[in-house]
Amino acid sequence: MRILIVEDDPVLADGLTRSLRAADYAVDCANDGAAADHVLAAQHYDLMILDLGLPKLDGFEVLRRLRRRGSRVPVLVLTARDALDDRVKGLDLGADDYLTKPFDLPELEARVRALIRRGQSGGASVLTHGALALDTAGRRATLNGEPIELSARELGVLEVLMLRSGRVVNKEQLAEQLYGWDEEVGANAIEVYVHRLRRKLEPAGVTIRTIRGLGYLLEKSPHA
Amino acid sequence: MRKSGTLRRQLILWLVTPLLLLWLISTVVDYDIAKRFVNLAYDRALLEVALDIGRNIKNVNQQTYVDLPDVALQMLQSRESGRLYYLVTGPDGEYISGEPQLADPPDDSSDRIRYYDEEFQGREIRVVALRVPVQPGSGKGVALIRVGERVTVRTESAGQLLLRLVLPQAVLIFFAVLAVWYGVGRGLAPLASLKREIEHRSHRDLSPLPQEQAPQEVQPLIRAMNDLLERLSLAIAAQQRFIADAAHQLRTPVAGLKTQTELALRQSQSDAAQVTLRQLQVATEHTIRLINQLLSLARAEHGVTHGYATQPLDLSALARETTTDWVPRALARDIDLGFDAPSDGARIEGDPFLIKEMLGNLLDNAVRYTQPGGQVTVRVAPQARDVILSVEDSGPGIPEAERERVFERFYRALGTGVEGCGLGLAIVREIVLRHGGRVSLEGGGDGIGTVVRVSLPRAA
Repeated sequence: MRILIVEDDPVLADGLTRSLRAADYAVDCANDGAAADHVLAAQHYDLMILDLGLPKLDGFEVLRRLRRRGSRVPVLVLTARDALDDRVKGLDLGADDYLTKPFDLPELEARVRALIRRGQSGGASVLTHGALALDTAGRRATLNGEPIELSARELGVLEVLMLRSGRVVNKEQLAEQLYGWDEEVGANAIEVYVHRLRRKLEPAGVTIRTIRGLGYLLEKSPHA
Repeated sequence: MRKSGTLRRQLILWLVTPLLLLWLISTVVDYDIAKRFVNLAYDRALLEVALDIGRNIKNVNQQTYVDLPDVALQMLQSRESGRLYYLVTGPDGEYISGEPQLADPPDDSSDRIRYYDEEFQGREIRVVALRVPVQPGSGKGVALIRVGERVTVRTESAGQLLLRLVLPQAVLIFFAVLAVWYGVGRGLAPLASLKREIEHRSHRDLSPLPQEQAPQEVQPLIRAMNDLLERLSLAIAAQQRFIADAAHQLRTPVAGLKTQTELALRQSQSDAAQVTLRQLQVATEHTIRLINQLLSLARAEHGVTHGYATQPLDLSALARETTTDWVPRALARDIDLGFDAPSDGARIEGDPFLIKEMLGNLLDNAVRYTQPGGQVTVRVAPQARDVILSVEDSGPGIPEAERERVFERFYRALGTGVEGCGLGLAIVREIVLRHGGRVSLEGGGDGIGTVVRVSLPRAA
């Protein structure tokens, strides 16, 4: 996997380079827009991490030229500005994700993984969460490789929670997943499914948290 | 220094003073004229009486007498307009009739008719002296008739006449003052509305003042003020932009610092280095928080980064979204973050970006100062006119004496032992004020923790 980092701040560029190399990516670095544009035309990358405020050629322009050449390389934009228009503009021009500076390194690494996976067509259909694995195509869940008995609706709830692991999922989103648009939504039913899931998963250390008034959250496992 | 009165008072002063002066002069002149005419009229009346008496002087057998019945003469002495005194003397000065004490004319002129003043029985009287031939065409000499009356009668009449002349003038002046008072008020009405406009303006509103309805005399003043407002807002915008730019410029190096620190923490094997790196990490986080807050304060004070645009908002939905974003951070500190809001009825007018920023700061404080295992709850409660957004925590609470001060910039409640920069609540207040709302800080229920209550005007 080859990643291009376009960042003019040498300390940040060095930090990013070394952390990604430690994760076994091949990393190239460009410290201005013109150099990035030049290298992108010659070399294929699986991901580009692009700062917007660059000397010589700004990040927007680099991105625009890249997309004009028909490249579909996933692009993660880094921006020191957090104004909404920057984000919208970046995404409109074909960035796939953005992070505002400063960011947590694990967060950046997670986004990098997700973007690279998305870039490879037909990514894995197996979701994992610690010891828990869910095969979304085969509709099967396993704990430490051992299959666990889950109903179709329990699987549905678990899938949504795993897809958004570490983030809050509200009852409406769960109900939407489980029922069609015109079916009656039962908040109580959701509670029942979550309760059953908890009973089956908690012995293995998988925790589904109730967030008061907001919904549920599949707690991040320590080595996710 | 001269005391500057109101325009109305000055105008009235400048109008009333000359008017009163003129009125005074006119009174003096009028009195003179009145006296002259009264004198003329009364003198003529006196003369008439004297002529009447003269027509009735008879000379029979060398005997000169006034042929008037006693009744008629008595009537002269008891007239309505004041008693008359008369004396008739013959050619040789012999007494014929009347008051013998009446004096002779002051000089010996032989004019037929003479008027003069004299003292009679201690009173000022006006006298007419008329010389009449004792027997017309006989050459038997002339009788001297003197008729007098008290001067006070004339002064009273002149006074009454003066009053009738001067009173209408006074009324005229009174109405002129009234008209000016009212007229000035009418004329200054646009200024008064301008004053109200400026009074009710927020100190952040630097838009130009309305110029159209102002009178032409005031327009240059408004133009000058608008010019000043414009320069002021440019200067403020430049300052805000500087803060925003500085904060942005700081973000990249600080991102480098943070990344390098995290990387070093992963790679370092030495315990001593780990301790140092953790301290470095804390300091970096602190710096980042300060930069972000400076940025949001600059943004709240002036919509430099993306303008300031209000739009109808569902506060429930916005608060739900923001609270949801904060769940991971609350869980990382083992804090039970909850949310409670009705599904509708919480519509406000506001800038979604700033409202999120405000709630984010409240949540940041609550999560930061509440001990692990504690609770933080966000509530939205629509009232009749306002929507109340509150954030309650089960943290250490803030002593009552400090509750007002925590809204000041860089103020931090003492003894909390938590790293923070004390800008959070200043930002909250700034944003709440921008939205025409109020923010207050209270002790939590059961005397535990803190409730920050923000009330924002409910949209119709």
